[in-house]
Amino acid sequence: MKTFMSFVVALGLAGAIILQPLGAAAADKSILIGFTASQTGKLNVEATRQINGLNLWVEQVNQAGGIKLPDGTHVKVQTKYYDDESNKERVQELYTRLISSDKADFLISPYSSGLADAAAVMAQQYNKIMITTGASSDSIFKKGYTLVYMTYTPASRYLTGALDVLLKLDPAAKKIAIIHENDKFSTDVVTALKKYAEDKGMEVPMFEGYDSGATDFAPFINKIPKGVDGVMGGGHFADTTTFARQFYEKKVPAKMLALLVAPPEPKFAELGDACIGVIGPSQWEPFATYSPEAAKAEKVEWFGPTVQDFLKLYSAKYGKEEPSYHSAGGYAAGLILQKGIEAAGSLDTDKVQAAIDKEDMYTFYGRIKFNTTPNLHGLQDGHEMIYIQWRKDKQGKPEKIAVWPASAASAAPVLRKVE
Amino acid sequence: MSFWRSAGFWINVLLVAIGGAVVLLIHQDTLRETVFTILMFVILASSLNIIMGLTGYVNFGHIVFFGLGGYFGFFLLSQLGWPLYLCMIAGGALSVVIALVVGAAVLRLRGAYFALATIGINEAARAFVANFAPFGGATGLYVNFSAYNAYGGSSKALWWIFTLLWIVTIITVVVCYLVKHSRFGLGLIAIREDEDAAMVMGVKTPWAKTAAFALSAFFPALVGTLYFFKNGNVEPEDAFRFQLSLEILVMVMLGGKGYVLGPIIGALAYERLRGVLLVSPLFKNLHLALSGAILLLIVLFMPGGLVGWVRDRLPRLRRWLE
Repeated sequence: MKTFMSFVVALGLAGAIILQPLGAAAADKSILIGFTASQTGKLNVEATRQINGLNLWVEQVNQAGGIKLPDGTHVKVQTKYYDDESNKERVQELYTRLISSDKADFLISPYSSGLADAAAVMAQQYNKIMITTGASSDSIFKKGYTLVYMTYTPASRYLTGALDVLLKLDPAAKKIAIIHENDKFSTDVVTALKKYAEDKGMEVPMFEGYDSGATDFAPFINKIPKGVDGVMGGGHFADTTTFARQFYEKKVPAKMLALLVAPPEPKFAELGDACIGVIGPSQWEPFATYSPEAAKAEKVEWFGPTVQDFLKLYSAKYGKEEPSYHSAGGYAAGLILQKGIEAAGSLDTDKVQAAIDKEDMYTFYGRIKFNTTPNLHGLQDGHEMIYIQWRKDKQGKPEKIAVWPASAASAAPVLRKVE
Repeated sequence: MSFWRSAGFWINVLLVAIGGAVVLLIHQDTLRETVFTILMFVILASSLNIIMGLTGYVNFGHIVFFGLGGYFGFFLLSQLGWPLYLCMIAGGALSVVIALVVGAAVLRLRGAYFALATIGINEAARAFVANFAPFGGATGLYVNFSAYNAYGGSSKALWWIFTLLWIVTIITVVVCYLVKHSRFGLGLIAIREDEDAAMVMGVKTPWAKTAAFALSAFFPALVGTLYFFKNGNVEPEDAFRFQLSLEILVMVMLGGKGYVLGPIIGALAYERLRGVLLVSPLFKNLHLALSGAILLLIVLFMPGGLVGWVRDRLPRLRRWLE
């Protein structure tokens, strides 16, 4: 009997020793996410914010034990990144290194459409899923890629919502003027806007581009035809801010001024009265009102932290730095991947791809859903821009308010006061 | 002496030939990408050396030919479906024609005036392309991913592009060597030393300078077409990067202007130096400033670059380091 008991105990111990590593292996599975960050070069600030958001997601996932697969496996997330100098040659070299030498399982894009474009072709060439964030160019997704997914609302929809706002506030509006920076991003945006306006039966009597770095917009503003209901366009921060100031000084009687990039920035308030009434699109704002309840009302699944939770987590980790849409995009890219892996129950590229294709969810960042048609595969279909408008608060100081779409708005939009 | 009997010729050619061959033999993707960038810089720096090193005309706008030629090659490839090698040659041909036309005008200028004019040419080319609808305007052009299928799929296409770049590098180095050791090259060197004296001695300086300018424009266009095809797209901001033009100039100065080996060593050293500086916590934000400081030190204390410095101290190596 004693021998038998010893045998049973020994068998049990042996079994425990044999099975323990298997169990541990299942629980300790990990993935490596590779990306490059522009730690030097002109895109340094935005890229750092994006990486802050992504790192916060990694920290949260790992603190929760990892990504949970249906079979009970927990997948811990590790990251590997390099500085790409905001340089395309460097991006392709480094993504090849991430895939071939570091054996990254999944990829996140660098910041900006140009760099993301250079990285996306490598991801597709090496059969790796890449979530692009900080990249809004539509053209990346017209190249026949099947493994590249977009977090941002595409450039072609940056200003179309502003036109919807104009038509909602003034259904009789008939004409808009478009004045834009003559670069890739702004041209992409306004070309789509022009088509959208014409499809709605509106006229675009002025469609003019100015060179990057322009500082005098008087010739363009003076050329705006009479009877124009709205003026839209702009480019990047410096030129758009100058344009808004000169537009105000010239007292152009348009009911709406909707501009790219600059209006969501807090520094835009330094324009004083010139910023009042200006509408601008933003990928995300801290005062966005996306919520699990609103998602439920639309019968769409909610995934990840709420807006308030994200803000708390972000300030706990990064102190006074308020999260920008770059930070939110970085976190949201992680959520897209997490949801895909959870739904696939696997780390296999084909299975995760199929799962991401089916994603339709609301997050703190807004709705996420991808185009799965062969010609535009991976293009972001669900996420909408948030349109902010500058108003005067009770003390008469400029304040930024979300006005569109209704699911994210905290106040209704208004038309500019025409003197 | 025939060039194939020259040790200097073989050192230059074998350096780039073996460098590329090792990558093809090892067949490692990461190494390929690293060497791709170095070979690209070798071609750009070597071609700049023809006009700058031999003739002494400092060209700040060399990247124009990379941009314009590359744009045209990529246009033929993406819009008209031409084969890659034909697109490269067509891009190169267009660059040569543009260089002949532009060179005939700006090469009448000398010294700082020529240098300033080349900056203007770069800006003018960028503005033209950004407004030229057939080249996609400010949005640029792109190819569908399926375009790589014609080259055996995307993975094989990358190796095919690398192989083509390697061949172009060897050809560029051979041409640079032949030009330097030809009667035409001697005429260019005479222009560099004293243009008026060269004219008196019978060098047809306007023709020689324009021909050197046109020749230096051919090779960047080949690289441009390959590079943009590898990227899958081309945009004005990428095609006419003034900073890259300056970096090529630093490479030529670092290696040694006027020597065939100079741009090869310069490109390799600059690329590696940049790589080291970028991962250094102390210098990662200062790498461009440090590159500028290095350039200043070279101009002040080592005007012949690394190759010139070694040749001065070890005269016996001169027949090897050309």
